[in-house]
Amino acid sequence: MNLYKNFYVMNAMSTRAERKQKIVLPSTPFFTLGIAAGIAVIPISNALKKTDATNIQVVSPNALSMLLNDLYIVLSVSLLAILLGIVCAFYLEEWLPKTNWVRRFIESHVAVLTGIPSVLYGILAISIFLSYAGTLKVINGAPAAQDTGARPFQRHTTLFLGEGLIFILMVMPVTIKTTQEALRSVATPVREAAYALGASQWQVLTRHVVPIAFTRMLAAGCRAMARAFATAALLIGTYIWHYTAETDGMSSRFLLFLGAALFLSVCSSTLVEIHASIYNSDSA
Amino acid sequence: MNHSIETENLSLWYGDFQALIDVSVKIPDGQITSLIGPSGCGKTTLLRCFNRVNERYGNVTTEGKIEILGKNIYDPDVSLPELRKAVGMVFQRPNPLPISVYENILFGLRIHSPMRSITRTESDQIVEEALTSVFLWEDLKDKLKVRATSLQLEQQQKLCIARLLPLKPKIILMDEPCSALDAKGTLAVEELMEILAGTYTFLIVTHNMAQARRVSEECIFMFLGELIEHRETQALFEDPKHEKTADYVQMRYG
Repeated sequence: MNLYKNFYVMNAMSTRAERKQKIVLPSTPFFTLGIAAGIAVIPISNALKKTDATNIQVVSPNALSMLLNDLYIVLSVSLLAILLGIVCAFYLEEWLPKTNWVRRFIESHVAVLTGIPSVLYGILAISIFLSYAGTLKVINGAPAAQDTGARPFQRHTTLFLGEGLIFILMVMPVTIKTTQEALRSVATPVREAAYALGASQWQVLTRHVVPIAFTRMLAAGCRAMARAFATAALLIGTYIWHYTAETDGMSSRFLLFLGAALFLSVCSSTLVEIHASIYNSDSA
Repeated sequence: MNHSIETENLSLWYGDFQALIDVSVKIPDGQITSLIGPSGCGKTTLLRCFNRVNERYGNVTTEGKIEILGKNIYDPDVSLPELRKAVGMVFQRPNPLPISVYENILFGLRIHSPMRSITRTESDQIVEEALTSVFLWEDLKDKLKVRATSLQLEQQQKLCIARLLPLKPKIILMDEPCSALDAKGTLAVEELMEILAGTYTFLIVTHNMAQARRVSEECIFMFLGELIEHRETQALFEDPKHEKTADYVQMRYG
């Protein structure tokens, strides 16, 4: 009988197409991230060669402007990454079917990237900083003694654009994953009910899914920002240990960033708890 | 006799699994018709075809014709919101939206009318009418601002019926509406259906044969995607023409 034949095929995992579905796609990060790690060896080995880092010369503007500069970079980069991540999560979760290979490809990468401890991203960021900070100085020319003001690519802050890219790599997967979880937490019956009353996809999203998922999406943003701040604190900390002459305002910045990371992660967990207490209590 | 739903050679596939095989059925206007059959026989699938909620799962292929109120619902000019407005659906598990009772009832109307076109007095009246017709007004008139998911299951299911009414549907599809309710709740919902039956056409999927016998005027028996028998309930239960129907209604299996 037709029915039984199909059940058999579905469970047997015998066809080529199904092997591709079940094994090949989820294991792609193994290869792509392997290649990425191979490329990352270059800055890391560069950094190891320059442990004295004598070619990095730091202009020392006042502590407040440095702090603002760091904050500006962390905030703008992580907000950008969070925004992109949320859009991406909506697209994956609400528009692409579960079996779509693009969705599976991205989801498997996101899963791996969120699993990597943020210290590893920090090490990559530090390596980039140590390898190229000096180079950028050389590109800009002028000797450090006469550097007083800001120029493009001037190294007068602990964080710069290369590290910004690492932040995006670090923040986006967390945002995508947690936002997807938030969207998935809106139960199917709610969506079904709204669709069956004739609501369009847009109406279902704006009137039900987003209001319900909003707290958890906010939590997702907080969690991602916490990760960015923690890594920034790590960078600043390393900076302190390397360049003891430049400690003006450094330790306070280190503490401030650590504090921000802690605060944001507490916010995130609290928001998840609030969401749970609103929507799970009355299902009994 | 008028028919509000007519299908002709309706076949449906999930991927390459055929869930409905050449189903041709005519469902009379203004009556309760029940769909019975063992699990996995396509009852719910057939029901879900009638307001096209099936399509959301993707990977669904449909062939054949479904005419609802004289219009083929697979024509390209059919508007899904309008179709679902005319064909309401009640689900197996009560699924009120996680907003207030008041807003639950108005939700359907709000999405089908321009923004802010419903005045406060109108909406109050609509909510009262809808709740009165499902006999919830007395219980809930002081709880209109309460989140609907915190009500008792029986009240939730009645609310799910009530929120269809402001849209003035012609047909109400019910997918095992009483399976999550106790005996008292089941009785209440059945009574409600009987009272509303003249105004609306009901199509109800049920596993409970006693219920099919109690409430429905006509009964359809399905088996492995095929429609086996469609007759008046009394006749189908007492004198089944088909061997499989006889086995099922006399509870030899299922």
